[in-house]
Amino acid sequence: MSAIFDLVLGIVTSIGGFVEVGSISTAAQAGAEFEFELLWAIAAATVMVAMLVEMSGRLAAVGRRTVAGAIRERFGIHFQILPLCAELLLDVLLLAAEIGGAAIALTLISGVGFVWWILPVGAVVWILLWTCGFAVLEDGIGLLGLVTLAFVVAAWRLEPAPAALGAGLLPTVPDHDGVRYAFLAVSIIGATVSPYLLNFYASGTIEEKLTEKELWVNRTTAFVGMGFGSVVSMGVLVTAAMVLAPKHIHVDSYEQAALMFVPPFGRWAVGLFAAALGVGCLGAAVEIALNAGYTLAQVFGWTWGANRPRRDAARFSVAFTLILLIAVAIALLGFDPLRLTMISLALTVIILPALVLPFIVLMNDEQYLKQHTSGVAGNVFLAVLTVLSALFALVVVPLEIFGG
Amino acid sequence: MPRALALILLPALVLGGCSRQDAKLEQHAKALSSLTATTAAIGDAWLAGFVSGTYADTALERTLQLVEAERQTLGGASYLLIDPRGARLSRQAERVSRALALMVKSVRDSDAGGLRREMSEAVSAGDGSR
Repeated sequence: MSAIFDLVLGIVTSIGGFVEVGSISTAAQAGAEFEFELLWAIAAATVMVAMLVEMSGRLAAVGRRTVAGAIRERFGIHFQILPLCAELLLDVLLLAAEIGGAAIALTLISGVGFVWWILPVGAVVWILLWTCGFAVLEDGIGLLGLVTLAFVVAAWRLEPAPAALGAGLLPTVPDHDGVRYAFLAVSIIGATVSPYLLNFYASGTIEEKLTEKELWVNRTTAFVGMGFGSVVSMGVLVTAAMVLAPKHIHVDSYEQAALMFVPPFGRWAVGLFAAALGVGCLGAAVEIALNAGYTLAQVFGWTWGANRPRRDAARFSVAFTLILLIAVAIALLGFDPLRLTMISLALTVIILPALVLPFIVLMNDEQYLKQHTSGVAGNVFLAVLTVLSALFALVVVPLEIFGG
Repeated sequence: MPRALALILLPALVLGGCSRQDAKLEQHAKALSSLTATTAAIGDAWLAGFVSGTYADTALERTLQLVEAERQTLGGASYLLIDPRGARLSRQAERVSRALALMVKSVRDSDAGGLRREMSEAVSAGDGSR
């Protein structure tokens, strides 16, 4: 019964935690500029992230190792140092973008400039991290994140044609702005397959003491939770396609994106959009800061855990605090959060191969996974993903320059 | 042989340069058109009572910043301004900017009539960019 409860909670919180600043901005831009044509990119990215998350959870449940910890142990610090630095840089930029996104949400309601909200948002994130255990952080924020289902309700109220939605699930050659189309497709993948998500999920598996016997919970949560979560992302795209595309409004700011809720929700539009953006960004900010602490602690062998008293995991606590402080300082510089998000997503795509490649070795290591090593399908998936991610990493900078 | 190569390459470079310039201008025209449509959407939503004055003010201010950024980009590229289409876009952006500034004032003064007037000016200024 407890396992079923955990499963349902895991799925619900996966849905609530799926959408954040990256997925909202890329899906809204894709819908506004290419209507339903990029739905396939969200579907493809969801399959990728669900499989990677399932593998991270399996590694943690069977091998009692997180992704960062296992890479450190198996490949050594010399292999890990560059990807580690890149991931921390990415975490800091993404964290600054999430804090900026939450601040913009408050600006939409209050009218006070977003830079004034950066410090209060950063303080809320730190207080949550300092005072709450893993269950409250993960489940509480995930449940609050269900407000993002407003995107699905909006899309449903706008009554899109099912045939057009179905057609969008198949990749097509766009009839205009091919480079921009390719850039958005790669950005959607970067926004969905976030490196922090993998180590965070593995760390959560250990925090929640999931064991080998509960691998089915891990598998179901990964596939069903991520699957339903992607429906929220698709809701953003469909709503933008139905409302903004006919008016030729492109999304260059979150203020513009909020307009997509006016036809389906009327007077509730801005409040609902701000709530969805704010909660989505706040949840992601907590997860990213926590993951930065997890990663540093696991790589350097420090005691870690959100469920431990902070004084018992002092270096872990200092690590997430420092990362949060740096991100707040960057956000305070007043960079446009949307622009910062798009740069972070390009960086995500660049470091993706360094993240995926070790999975091939780890997921075939019986020392960690006993009889649960990857089968043929898993290995083919990882090989294809490695090649694809290397290709994306090569093209993302030219695409950012010419289509970003 | 070098002369033949030059004869082939020169027109290709000139055509390539022209098409890049065309693409740039089209990109700016699309951006201005999108910002004008945004202006109208915000104004309509405020007039219909769907969004608060706080949001309308914030969103119009942000749109004004984006139009100004477009105008500065156009003004900073002499090769675009030499082209009559680029010069026209720059003038349109200036008109949209001014109308937007007046729309912000109308929202702050809760002046629906003034907002309608300025919105119509912004839309007619931006229409030329489509």
